[in-house]
Amino acid sequence: MIDILSYGLMVIGIIFWFWGTFPLIGNRSVLFKLHSLSVADTLGSMAIVVGLLLKIPSEWPLLLLAIITLAIWNTVLGYVLAYCSSSGGKND
Amino acid sequence: MDSILIAMILALLIPIYEAWQDDNIWQKMLAFASIATKTSIMMLVISVLRDDWSIGVVAVIILSVGEAGLMLLAHLIKQCRLG
Amino acid sequence: MIDNYVYVIVALLPLAALMLVFQVNPYNALVIRAILGAVSALVYAILGAADVALTEALVGTMLAVTLYVVAVRSSLVMRLGILKEFKIEKESYFEELIANLRKVINKYHLRLEIVEYSNSKALEQALMAKEVHATCIKQEQEQVDTQNQNSTTGIDIRQTYHTTIRVRRLFEIMKTELTFPETTLDYVTVSNEEDKH
Repeated sequence: MIDILSYGLMVIGIIFWFWGTFPLIGNRSVLFKLHSLSVADTLGSMAIVVGLLLKIPSEWPLLLLAIITLAIWNTVLGYVLAYCSSSGGKND
Repeated sequence: MDSILIAMILALLIPIYEAWQDDNIWQKMLAFASIATKTSIMMLVISVLRDDWSIGVVAVIILSVGEAGLMLLAHLIKQCRLG
Repeated sequence: MIDNYVYVIVALLPLAALMLVFQVNPYNALVIRAILGAVSALVYAILGAADVALTEALVGTMLAVTLYVVAVRSSLVMRLGILKEFKIEKESYFEELIANLRKVINKYHLRLEIVEYSNSKALEQALMAKEVHATCIKQEQEQVDTQNQNSTTGIDIRQTYHTTIRVRRLFEIMKTELTFPETTLDYVTVSNEEDKH
C-alpha cells in the first residue's frame, strides 16, 4: 500500500516536472517561464521527496531538510530572478 | 525505479536543450535554475535508492548551495547588464 | 553493480562540455559553465564520490563562476573619457555617437563605460595615465556660437567630434566598423614610461 503511494507520488512529481519544464522551450517572456518553472518544479520536486520519505522513512531528517530547503529557497530564488531580470532586462 | 530515473533524465534534457538554443542570458539562467534543482533531486533519489547516507547529505548541501550561487550569479549579471 | 541509467547520466557530461566549448559570448559561456558544474556534480555523486561532488558544486559552480563573472566584467570594458559639460548639453549627435559606439562594441562583447572629467587637461592626463581607453571631445574649429550660426547661415552646422583611442586593436575595429561621419578617429601611442610618474 505504502509502496504504491510512494511510486504514485514520484510519478506525479515527474509529471509536474515535465509540465513545468516544457514551457521553457518556446518564445515566451522570462517571467512567464519563471512562473511555470517555479510553481510546477517546486511542487514536483516536493512530491518526489515526499514519495522517497514514504519509501524509506529511516532517512527522514535528510529528506525533511530537503523539503524545507526546496520550499524556502525556490520561492526566494523565483523572486530574486524576477527582480534581476526585469530591472536589468532592457534587451528582452 | 530505473524507469523513474530515466524519466528524470529526459526531464533534465529539456532545460539543457533550452540553454543551448536560446541566446538571451536570462533564459539561460532559468534553464540553469531548473537543472540545478533537478540534478540535486536526482542525487537524492539515487542516495535513497542505494541507501547511501553520504550522497544524500551532499545532495541536500548541493541543493541549498546551488540556489545560493544562482542568486549571487543573478545579481552579478544584473550589475553587468546595467553598467 | 553499474546500472543502465549511469551510462545515460555520464553521457550528459560531454554534451554539456561541448555546449560550453561552442559558446562565444563570455557571459553565456559562464552560465553554461555553471550548468556543466551541476551536471558533473551529479555524475560524481552517482559514481560514489560524494566529496568530489561537493567540491565541484562549491568551487566549480559557485566560486569559479562568481570570480570569472567579476573578472570578465572588469576586463571586457571600453572606458570612454568625456568632459563634464559635454554630457549636460544633451546633444542628439552625442547620444547618437554613444549609441553607435555601443553597437560596434557589443559585437565584440565589450561594455562601454563613460567616465566624466571636469576639464580637458584632466582628460588628457587620464588618457596618458591609461585610466581610460579613449577620449571624445568636440573639435575646436567647429565650435561656433549658436547665435552666430543662426544669424549667418540659418542652417545649423553639424558639430563634429574628435575621438582619440590609445588601444591599437580598438582603433582598428573602430576604423573599419564605425560608420558615423560626425567623428574623426585618431590613434595615439602611450609609452610605458609615462605611467611611472
